[in-house]
Amino acid sequence: MLRGEDEDASELKIGEDFLKAKCLMNSEVAILLEHRYDQMKQMSGDSTPLPQVFEKSLQYVKCFSRFTNQGSVKQVREVLSRYQLAEFELAVIGNLCPETVEEAKAIVPSLKTKGRGHDDEAVERLLNDLLMIKKFE
Amino acid sequence: MFLKVELPWNVVIPPANLVAKGLMLKKSISLRLLKGFAANKATKDHGYFLAITTVESIGEGKVRRSGDVVYPVVFSCITFKLFRGEIIEGVVHHVLRNGVLMNCGPVENIFLYKDLMPDYRYVPGENPIFLNEKTGSKIVKDVLVRCVVLGTKWLEEEREFRGLVSLEGDYLGPVS
Repeated sequence: MLRGEDEDASELKIGEDFLKAKCLMNSEVAILLEHRYDQMKQMSGDSTPLPQVFEKSLQYVKCFSRFTNQGSVKQVREVLSRYQLAEFELAVIGNLCPETVEEAKAIVPSLKTKGRGHDDEAVERLLNDLLMIKKFE
Repeated sequence: MFLKVELPWNVVIPPANLVAKGLMLKKSISLRLLKGFAANKATKDHGYFLAITTVESIGEGKVRRSGDVVYPVVFSCITFKLFRGEIIEGVVHHVLRNGVLMNCGPVENIFLYKDLMPDYRYVPGENPIFLNEKTGSKIVKDVLVRCVVLGTKWLEEEREFRGLVSLEGDYLGPVS
């Protein structure tokens, strides 16, 4: 387990366990939690209160989902997966949807690491692909 | 950041429930797992526990002296954790003299200290706000703010995390 002082997401230092774990975008979590919510309602009806952690998270992802259509969400993951991004980077980009190359590099500083092959052109293409999906949602 | 992780868990089935076999036993194990999971709000290492997505495997049960049987289960679930250096978006819920409090996902107390809000000034009043005089931008209750995580603190007794964030950096601040 990475010690607190060594952790730094901007350099992708988040601990081996978490680098291996799958990072989910808010939009993906929204779909999963909504589905679970429907299941829970069916099983126990409206009377049983939901765990607070679940309820707050569901509220949050519904508010912060950039893509609402299940098909688009899948497309976003497919498209971003073609760019050799770490899971963490993919999720941050999918969540924040930067509009310019400059913004993308500011919110995902690990992209700037030399030797990763993410030149400005590649990042620009990535952002355009994202924009296309948003346009046709 | 929301994560999907695979975790091990030991599910204890008391002797009374062991009469059922096969599918009923599997159901009993799953139900107990769900209950145990829901009761466990968060841990320091994994963050907040949101929902189980799949039960990956149920191993062979081991009988304890008490007669209970312990089943080693591996399951996948959704968790939430804040990472230092991560850029997040949160919602302001309180404006204080020395900063604002935000929530992000299940984390309810994320503090943005006034000295980490460059160009913003506290304006007191019935509904206090933080105002950026240069841009006219306001940080007030219910505003969405993009910020960078400086650090988190795990509170063992309350079983929750507190976060500390900053607006120092490009492309950070209120989100329209």
